[in-house]
Amino acid sequence: MKVTAQPSADTLTLLLDGELDASSAIVLDTELAKPDILNFRKVLIDCAKLSYISSAGLGVFISHLQRFQDANVKLVFFNMQEKVFNVFEILGLDALMTIVPSATEAEAA
Amino acid sequence: MPFSLLSWVLLLLSALSHSGASPWLGVWPEWSTQLTQGAFVLGIFLYYRYRSSPLQGQAFVRLLRGLLTGPGMLALACVGLHLLERLAKDQPVFSSNSLFFTCIYTLNLGLFVIFLARTNYAWRALVLFRSGQRLQREWTVFEVLLGFTLLFRLVGINPPNYIGIPIVVALGLYGIYLSGHQKWVAYLSQREKWRAVLLQAGLLLGVLIFVQYFRVTQADPQLIAPQPQYAFLLLTAFFSAFYALMGLMVTFFNLPISDIIEQRRSEILRLQRLTQIIQRGQTSAEVYGILLESAVQTVSADAAWLDLAPGHAGAESAEATQYFNLSKPQVDELRTRLAAHDLPEGEFITNDLNMRAGFEGLPQHFRSLLQLPLRGLQFNYGMLYLLKLEPHTFDREDLSILQTFTSQAVLSIENLELVRTSLDNQRTQEELKISFQVQDSLIPKNLPTDNWFEISSHSLAAREVGGDFYDFLHLPGRRLAVIIGDVSGKGVTAAFHMAQMKGIFHSLMQENPLAKNERDKFPVPSRFMAQANMALTHCLEKSSFITSSLYIIDYEQGGFVFARAGHCHTLYYHALREEVFYFDSAGLGLGIIRNESYEKHIKNQFYDYSPGDVMVIYTDGIVEARGGSGTDEYGEDRLKLRLEESYFQNAEEIKRYILNDLNAFTSGYPIHDDQTLLVIKFKSAQPPPTA
Repeated sequence: MKVTAQPSADTLTLLLDGELDASSAIVLDTELAKPDILNFRKVLIDCAKLSYISSAGLGVFISHLQRFQDANVKLVFFNMQEKVFNVFEILGLDALMTIVPSATEAEAA
Repeated sequence: MPFSLLSWVLLLLSALSHSGASPWLGVWPEWSTQLTQGAFVLGIFLYYRYRSSPLQGQAFVRLLRGLLTGPGMLALACVGLHLLERLAKDQPVFSSNSLFFTCIYTLNLGLFVIFLARTNYAWRALVLFRSGQRLQREWTVFEVLLGFTLLFRLVGINPPNYIGIPIVVALGLYGIYLSGHQKWVAYLSQREKWRAVLLQAGLLLGVLIFVQYFRVTQADPQLIAPQPQYAFLLLTAFFSAFYALMGLMVTFFNLPISDIIEQRRSEILRLQRLTQIIQRGQTSAEVYGILLESAVQTVSADAAWLDLAPGHAGAESAEATQYFNLSKPQVDELRTRLAAHDLPEGEFITNDLNMRAGFEGLPQHFRSLLQLPLRGLQFNYGMLYLLKLEPHTFDREDLSILQTFTSQAVLSIENLELVRTSLDNQRTQEELKISFQVQDSLIPKNLPTDNWFEISSHSLAAREVGGDFYDFLHLPGRRLAVIIGDVSGKGVTAAFHMAQMKGIFHSLMQENPLAKNERDKFPVPSRFMAQANMALTHCLEKSSFITSSLYIIDYEQGGFVFARAGHCHTLYYHALREEVFYFDSAGLGLGIIRNESYEKHIKNQFYDYSPGDVMVIYTDGIVEARGGSGTDEYGEDRLKLRLEESYFQNAEEIKRYILNDLNAFTSGYPIHDDQTLLVIKFKSAQPPPTA
């Protein structure tokens, strides 16, 4: 699992590469837990190369969800593979989080 | 012994008869003297031969002392008798009394024989000390040959000199060869060696006194003495004296190197002590203490200290630094000076500390320093520093000896560490076993049975304990509540929440006495989920969540209502339409939103079932099971296909059919998530059995 951060003016894009399981969840959690992440208006998660997400991986997003909402930071997922999207959907997270098909829609969101 | 005594008395009488001092005895034949003398010598020697070895353990000095105080004193007695004899010479009464002289002579001869026998067999013990079979045989040959020389005289064969002398010389050389076996000397400490030298000198003196006496008396014309058994006595006396001399020399020349031998022995002993500590499983503090002590003693250092790396095994239980002849401020000062010097990481010797910059004005004038790390497999456990006042005292050899000590100590420490971890592991295993038993008791063993449906269940945890759960509860009015759930994560944490969820299920599914109508007495599934979500708010950590589905089956009405809180979709076989499908309903997992707004995200779904319908409820451990190429998942589609193939069987058979396929798919891969599978088959309505 590799997490690459690409900050721009008011947007932070995180590229996830690989499988997000219990061990790699820690890497992502450190990234999302950084205090200055709340200075961005939007945090975009590029899931194009995310091949698998475990419940621990979902837990990382869930645990930061409230914090992002409170700070008025939008969390947007895009380029999600169908298999990964299914996991979000089954848990009901699609109703709670913004999941869009592509980068253009993510930037517009 | 009585035999020896008797033969001695006979010898005395025979000698007296020859001396002509007592006419009443008459003149005994010549051979009687030879015979009695031979018998006496043989008796004494055999007596000492078969006595138990005078050497006990390694008490060499005691053996020598025993020899000197025992038979050695006989020499003094001999001198005393001789002096008495000299005194008596001047007395007219005795002047011509050869009876008296003969008595003393024979007495002295007896003493000499005893002395020789004792000494010879003491030497035997020393020669044979730690010897092999071969040497023992050689010794026996020596004894037998000596015995023959005794026999020659006895039977009266008196070989001419040109044969006799070479034989005696050859046996003498044999004795010299045997005298070369002085292994015991190596086992003496320096003090014992000094004592051994003195005792052996004393013994030599004893032999000389006897020999001198016999030489003098032989020359005495007054004495018509019987000829002593020359060859035998000469040889044994020679051997006794030579062995003592040889031992003395060996011991004496060993003295200068004995401290080195002793040092080596003490090093071995210290190493043994360190090794024994491993077996006794003592604390690491003790190991470090013994290491410091042994190191200091081995190189006789004037001061030393041992720095232990913090955080590494045992360093916190032991003092972080151990000192010898130094105080903490002194070590701190030395340490700062050393730090300024930028010494190498590993072994290091400096023998001119005082010449180095930064070491002037030390309170103690240490000139030599040895630095040695305690190397473990992964890291250094610490650093040992030894100091001496004299310059140029440490060398490479010191270093290699100390390295044996440090590696032995490190081995002990690592061994202790290993024992501790394995004990910890064992305890954890025990606790896990208990958790497993507790959790196992939470899983319903007796499935509800009724003639309206069949239930079959399967559950398997990825580890000893897991986060999957399911439960049943009969509600009044021919209703059955079925719950399934999955706590995110695995292992003990998940198992705790699973137990919690079971508690929540049973407490929320209580009849509400204030309910206005029958339907409200028990919470509907969506209400249940909302309440469970609230209950979990305060006890579930932020990144954890629970997915669950609750079904309330009413088989009077032939229908069920369920709510899905983020749990896997329910697989269903509809008998009338002959169709297998997944219920597609929305619903958010528990613990994701922790406020009142959760209720908006959960829905109830009502469904009427018909006999023959099959409901398959499971956790994601089933559909996400890995198999095939290793990254493939079992998947919802494959599960659906299996039900399409098996819906007509009973619940147990359907479950087994699915599990067989699942196991075939995952074979060769470890199970990585808990798996739970419930199969419920509805049957045609039948009247309840009448009692």
